[in-house]
Amino acid sequence: MESLSDTLWDIVICGTGLQQSLLALALSRSGKKILHIDPNEFYGSAEAAFSLQDAESWAHRVSTGSGGLFAFASITKPEGAVDLSSSRAYSLALAPKLIHARSTLLSRLVSSRAYRQVEFLAVGSFYIFRPPQDTQNPTLVRIPSTREEVFSTTDVSSKAKRQLMKFLKFVLDSEASPQLETWQPYADTPLTGFLQQEFNMDAELQMYIITFTLSLEGNISTKDGLAVIRRHLSSMGLYGPGFAAIYPKWGGLSEITQISCRAGAVGGAVYMLGTGIKEMETVENEVKLQLTSGDTVRTRMLVRASDSASGQTGINRLVAVISSPLSSMFQSIVEGAPRPAVAVIAFPAGSLSTPAGRASEHPVYLSAHSSDTGECPVGQSVLYLTTLSTPDAKAVLERALDIFICPTSGDEAPQVLYQLQYEQRTGPDTFEVDGPIFTFPAPSPSLSFDDSTLVPVREAWKRVMGDAAVYAEYLVFDDRDVALDDNDVYDTW
Amino acid sequence: MADSNAPKPSSSVKLVLLGEAAVGKSSLVLRFVNNDFQENKEPTIGAAFLTQKCNLPTRTIKFEIWDTAGQERFASLAPMYYRNAQAALVVYDLTKPTSLIKAKHWVAELQRQASPGIVIALVGNKLDLTNDEAGAGGDAEDVGAEESGDARKISTEEAKTYAEEEGLLFFETSAKTGYHVTEVFTAIANAIPETSLKTARGPGAAHAASRTEEQRVNLNGPRDSNAKETCVC
Repeated sequence: MESLSDTLWDIVICGTGLQQSLLALALSRSGKKILHIDPNEFYGSAEAAFSLQDAESWAHRVSTGSGGLFAFASITKPEGAVDLSSSRAYSLALAPKLIHARSTLLSRLVSSRAYRQVEFLAVGSFYIFRPPQDTQNPTLVRIPSTREEVFSTTDVSSKAKRQLMKFLKFVLDSEASPQLETWQPYADTPLTGFLQQEFNMDAELQMYIITFTLSLEGNISTKDGLAVIRRHLSSMGLYGPGFAAIYPKWGGLSEITQISCRAGAVGGAVYMLGTGIKEMETVENEVKLQLTSGDTVRTRMLVRASDSASGQTGINRLVAVISSPLSSMFQSIVEGAPRPAVAVIAFPAGSLSTPAGRASEHPVYLSAHSSDTGECPVGQSVLYLTTLSTPDAKAVLERALDIFICPTSGDEAPQVLYQLQYEQRTGPDTFEVDGPIFTFPAPSPSLSFDDSTLVPVREAWKRVMGDAAVYAEYLVFDDRDVALDDNDVYDTW
Repeated sequence: MADSNAPKPSSSVKLVLLGEAAVGKSSLVLRFVNNDFQENKEPTIGAAFLTQKCNLPTRTIKFEIWDTAGQERFASLAPMYYRNAQAALVVYDLTKPTSLIKAKHWVAELQRQASPGIVIALVGNKLDLTNDEAGAGGDAEDVGAEESGDARKISTEEAKTYAEEEGLLFFETSAKTGYHVTEVFTAIANAIPETSLKTARGPGAAHAASRTEEQRVNLNGPRDSNAKETCVC
């Protein structure tokens, strides 16, 4: 076998984040000589999923300042949390994003046949947190997301129902006349204002709508907000009744990175973990890389991800394992629907307060995952709480967690068994090309998968393929698997 | 059998093959999947993926087999394969002592890193190179390694004792003759606890599995093919 340094690689991919891994998948039948490395000892980069032990060493590295875009990671295990299972019974996702059924990511996974290696689970209901009012306790209200649900819900008044119905209908046709003309004057102003002006919605109803956008700022523009809600509504029912988005089992996008790398390996790419780039130098049409493993390799092209933080606000995240299956949150609402494994709870801006009495500046989103996700043992759940970074963000997330697990009526409160907190900064959002060196943008902190993530992948693929790039063949593959038909089964008894 | 046409529950089992280079991992799979053998098979590059169904009396198991390259240089592939795997086949060449050492290394790594309930089978391959009556249906136990003309270097007893200590299934096989190959997979299929089986996909299964267990979203489902793909990504 040729040695690493004797080979002139067509491409070296550094990092196994989603974009790099999808590129490896896209090139897996190209015949190109591919070396795929990652400085980490695990797959997935910023989209990885960790066992508790992995999480511990990751948090340690991040807290010592070598975590790239991640910072201030800490783990707390409350005293006497005896119910925590073994490390490997958990798979905590760094990127627990939900994927809308209409996402191009899914059509690419289908056309490349890679989807066969993934188990997808349904994302169920969206809830909104109603802070305590007068003598009333805080409550969670399920947001109706289809016309049928709007019709049947008892949580909103009939006036609000009419407004919601009107809005849902409007959104589905919002790209056509006359709807287009109605919203365009509001395009770059906050969606809430548009909802108030054109649909007479009160603040609470506006909040219902905003929640579906999963906007971290909470003040999404009318243009972006309508697009996201349209995606949500048009995704509803696409792969089955009662759900608009899905989630890959075993740690979200982490699983997509791994199946993509596996496809790369099946295609002959060489994989090296724990190996990064120490130094590089462009000589004529080649890049010379000195790897941290001590090897020197030559390649025609290099693809890597940006991991330098930009000035933009990042996110704070709190991941908690709790001692309750939260069964009531994971019920299928529609007849014949798959049982959902994910529920989303929004705490609107201002609905939480810090110990110092300041109101929360941005919304907090809590994504609850059942053990069906494979991320925790049966009888427990994993909660992912996210908010935009502010000096109060950590306290706000802790407050949201406290409120969420607070018993409603004399039940025993679930115990927090394990808690991981960290900050994720944002980096450059552009795809940079510097001769033979391509740099992918930093991962977006959005809570649902954004199709714009895929654009640089295709761009990089095009550049690697050069004249051989045929768009119609991009990520379109036959099954590799030599499965026999059903008649050719071993009968073994 | 009351009604052999009744649909049985069908489940997928992810199985990963590990072992030193040239012990016959791919050949075992080729024998199992295609009932074929190639004398001088090229080394596997990277990895390969194959599937095969295995019919048990009460259920059908679809093996999703990940065959890794034994000569993979950086040991970076294996973790990606054995993650979430329900079964592992660790193969050694019973004519090559170093291959059992490597196999033990894999077993230790699986016990340390893989899913807690993973079913591991230790398989000594190349029984056809020994004086055992492989393939003739004879029992391959307690054959001394020192007999003349016998290439065997690892006694059945040594490997079997190790397998018992570690709680592994154990077989000696010949991918060349096909001896004991199907048995390995059947034993694994039987050893997978029913509770750890993935939700079945495919027709037939839908009736057998209770509705609440129907969680897997099928992307081959009702998505309308007329949906326009205007995105440039």
